[in-house]
Amino acid sequence: MLSELLHIPAAAIISWILFVAVDIFFKLPEAGGVVGATAIARDIEAGGGDISGGTMMGNIVCSPDASAGTLLAACGVYLAGIPGGLAAAVMVYIGNRICYDPGYAGTTGAVLATFVIYGFTQVGFAASDFIAGMVIAILTIQGLSHTHASRLLGRLWRIRE
Amino acid sequence: MIALYVVAAIAVYAAARAILERNTGRRFPYANVLNFAVAGSLVLLLDHPITLVAAAAYFVGSTLEANAIASTYAGRMKR
Repeated sequence: MLSELLHIPAAAIISWILFVAVDIFFKLPEAGGVVGATAIARDIEAGGGDISGGTMMGNIVCSPDASAGTLLAACGVYLAGIPGGLAAAVMVYIGNRICYDPGYAGTTGAVLATFVIYGFTQVGFAASDFIAGMVIAILTIQGLSHTHASRLLGRLWRIRE
Repeated sequence: MIALYVVAAIAVYAAARAILERNTGRRFPYANVLNFAVAGSLVLLLDHPITLVAAAAYFVGSTLEANAIASTYAGRMKR
């Protein structure tokens, strides 16, 4: 019980670093993959946010990216170990193709997350900690303050550039 | 067990924020958090390997919907 209370925030931090790093590596803040992502970015910028960060947030909404990959990999590892995580990666790949996403952030994120999460289950973490952790991680980006989250993502993107 | 409560609480919070937000474009990220939370809670509630397919299908489907609605919204903004 107590360990779960400590493991979930730790899993959230690990998931956050993993999916933000993969998304920025795959240049999600550079351009909107579809017009819908660009429209979301413009609305976030109009609310006082950063356009690059807003673009990344729009892309997260419009296609399964590394955050979706991390969540589904955690679900896969929870239900069926490493094969479950890799099955999730295949489903994210199919999802990317359906959404006309040219990038491979989702699939890469799912495969990476499978091994990271499996590694942590060997040292006492439960895969369910990562499911909750990933939902907390996406909440901090998409659900608390769009202005602050987009500025933070924009700053990280400029370091990458 | 705590994981399920955390995910369910976030789902309710995200739904409320999505309803209260006035700007259409800024509603999508809240709906996105809701989709993550629902996909996660599906897996935590139904502990069976096939649930993974259900969660992935739900998640990809809801993303495709968000994509379609956002594209329509973008088209309307241009006109």
